Amino acid sequence: MKLHTFLFAALLLAAGAAHADRLDDIRKAGVLRVAAFDGNPPFGYVDEKTRKIVGLDVDYAEALARNLGVKLEIVPTNPANRVPLLTSNKVDLVFANFTITEERAKAIDFSIPYIASGQQFLAKKGVLKRPEQLSELKIGADKGTTMESTLREKYPAARVISFDDTPFALAALRNGNVQAITQDGTKLVAILANLPDRDKYEIPAFAISEELEGVGIPKGETRLVAHVNEWLRGLEKDGTAQKIYDKYFGPQSKSPLPRLFRIGDTQLRKG
Amino acid sequence: MDFQVIRDNLDYLLRGHWPDGPLGGAALTLLLSVGSAVLSGALGLALGIALAMSAPRVRVALTAAIGFFRAIPVLMLIFWTYFLLPIAFGIDVPGVFSVMCALSLVGGAYLAHSVRAGIASIGAGQWQAGLSLGLTRFATLRHVVLPQALRIMLPSFVNQWVSLVKDTSLAYVVGVGELSFLAAQVNARTMIHPAEVFLFVGAIYFVLCSALDLLARLLARRCRSGAGV
Repeated sequence: MKLHTFLFAALLLAAGAAHADRLDDIRKAGVLRVAAFDGNPPFGYVDEKTRKIVGLDVDYAEALARNLGVKLEIVPTNPANRVPLLTSNKVDLVFANFTITEERAKAIDFSIPYIASGQQFLAKKGVLKRPEQLSELKIGADKGTTMESTLREKYPAARVISFDDTPFALAALRNGNVQAITQDGTKLVAILANLPDRDKYEIPAFAISEELEGVGIPKGETRLVAHVNEWLRGLEKDGTAQKIYDKYFGPQSKSPLPRLFRIGDTQLRKG
Repeated sequence: MDFQVIRDNLDYLLRGHWPDGPLGGAALTLLLSVGSAVLSGALGLALGIALAMSAPRVRVALTAAIGFFRAIPVLMLIFWTYFLLPIAFGIDVPGVFSVMCALSLVGGAYLAHSVRAGIASIGAGQWQAGLSLGLTRFATLRHVVLPQALRIMLPSFVNQWVSLVKDTSLAYVVGVGELSFLAAQVNARTMIHPAEVFLFVGAIYFVLCSALDLLARLLARRCRSGAGV
């Protein structure tokens, strides 16, 4: 928890920092610096062949760099580093499956959401049927995510074990250290599709919260926020958003998932 | 156990994107280790000598400063230099540099006390012998005391450097792509081979640290035989 205290101190310090207009800075520098996950398929992960960070979030970042006419530079991040990377000016934007929350919006700004999902669970078949059972289980979550805090809030009796990243949580599930792991439904279907013994596991058909994910933007950059929002709406209109989604979750992909959210929506559509 | 995952990612784990992109993996771990070993060694030597030779008041201040760096976790120091310096002073420190800085400061602080103890272990007679030959205090230190003291300190230096090699893995907190960071990436993509991936990582650290130990022994043997001539 030490790290979290630290992040908080960093945020407080950052609140007083002055800045010029970031949108102009990006254009002048000719480089868009984006923080993306490197270990979070299919949102951001290292490609097996090219060894570059790729994924749904990176596709969005690339589209934005093209739109701005600048080069894209990807900085690898993990859940707990996303806010400090923005506040310490190490990156211009965060595209990292970044759930919009009031707490985070105190330190940084968010774009309108470009993807949404529910917080779901992955467990051995038959272990978890109803949300009430969560209170009796040991559940693995990723440190510094909204999954962790939502679970602790809604099911205080559940034993939540925090892991550095999803692969560790998954290893704990497969070794029996925890009985379930929690993540965005979008991520869980991708994980399940990759498991060699996938028929032994299931994603129970309930979600305990709805998460809207947006682009993380430094606090107070109103022109940048407006530009990103307008660009996102354009992506939905010209079909690029659908194309990116289909690449990872479309019917032909490894982990098909109906698209219940379009850019401009305020909540998931009932599927 | 299926070590195909290691074979598939071997060159990535060993050298990252290099030569097409930034150096990473085991090669960056080695670079970070060598860089911080040299810097921490130099810093430890300078601080240790200062501790042994300076006036009491300076020594108190030095001991306090060294105590500070010994008492805070390396992880925090890396975090501070990387995230807080840009916010507080507008200085942008690249990740690799902030890790090397933090490891050198902490390693140097530990070594300072070893160096001071090593110098203290050389009897007063040696000092008197040097001074009575007309050497200055620093000349006595340089030509009489240090050659003997350094041999005594060598195991402490090796100890500190071995722990430093392993501490380079803390660079993950600021996204520096050293060995354990890239291993976590590979593990995140494959998801199902954590045991194989991290066994391999353990083996690499073992090889690096053992090689360091071996090198130090060879050096010590050469010093001894050199002293006999």
